[in-house]
Amino acid sequence: MDWLEQELKSALVRKEPSPGFSARVSNAARRPRIVAWPRWMAAAAAAILIAGGAAGYRQYQGMVAKEKVMLAMRIASGKLNRIQEHVMQVSR
Amino acid sequence: MRGFMLVAVCATALYAQQFKFNLDHLAAKASESVDLSLNGSTLQFAAKFFDGKDPDEAKVKKLISSIEGIYIKSFEFKQDGAWSPADLDSVRNQLRAPEWSRIVGVKGGEGSENAEVYLRSEKGKVTGVAILYSQPRELTVVNIIGPIDLEQLAALSGHFGVPKVKLPK
Repeated sequence: MDWLEQELKSALVRKEPSPGFSARVSNAARRPRIVAWPRWMAAAAAAILIAGGAAGYRQYQGMVAKEKVMLAMRIASGKLNRIQEHVMQVSR
Repeated sequence: MRGFMLVAVCATALYAQQFKFNLDHLAAKASESVDLSLNGSTLQFAAKFFDGKDPDEAKVKKLISSIEGIYIKSFEFKQDGAWSPADLDSVRNQLRAPEWSRIVGVKGGEGSENAEVYLRSEKGKVTGVAILYSQPRELTVVNIIGPIDLEQLAALSGHFGVPKVKLPK
């Protein structure tokens, strides 16, 4: 027997598993597997998120524009009303 | 040529109002200031967010449907003399005939108010309104572009937090 055979024999010698090995394997097999999503599903989810975000941002911009219009109307109609009041006072 | 066109477009955007306001220097002195520049597309965009079923919002929606722009600069100051008559003159001097005609001018009253309303007309049609309103501690300039109905606008008072002025019958 040369040195190579001796090395192989010692490397491939039968070893008993550590205690509880079979229980650990069966537990791991029972754990739910993490299913990898298909790429198209991830892309679709991203597209939905982006579209939702864009719609939300548009809604926000619309509300800001509306508030500005309301402020403009408040100022303009308020001043006109004051002027109208003056004119009515003078004409009395 | 392209450069010229770009400058022309920018100039149109900067001076979309019917006259120059020249009042930006007052912002630093003001305790409160409002600077509103709403062009036609912004107004039409905003109109989509007014509830047509709400009577008050429906009025505003109808009013702004024909307006091409609203430009307002309003300043409030903590003390008298922060703005000068020259500031108001620089605006007033642009509101000249034949385009512009002054329909109301009010002086005095409570708090030494001064107010003027000018109408801009082309071919017999109203195309804009200018309101100049001042008090010792306030200066407001409004330019509404388009065929605005002043009665409709004044009728908005009493709504949206605008105090309703009781007019004698």
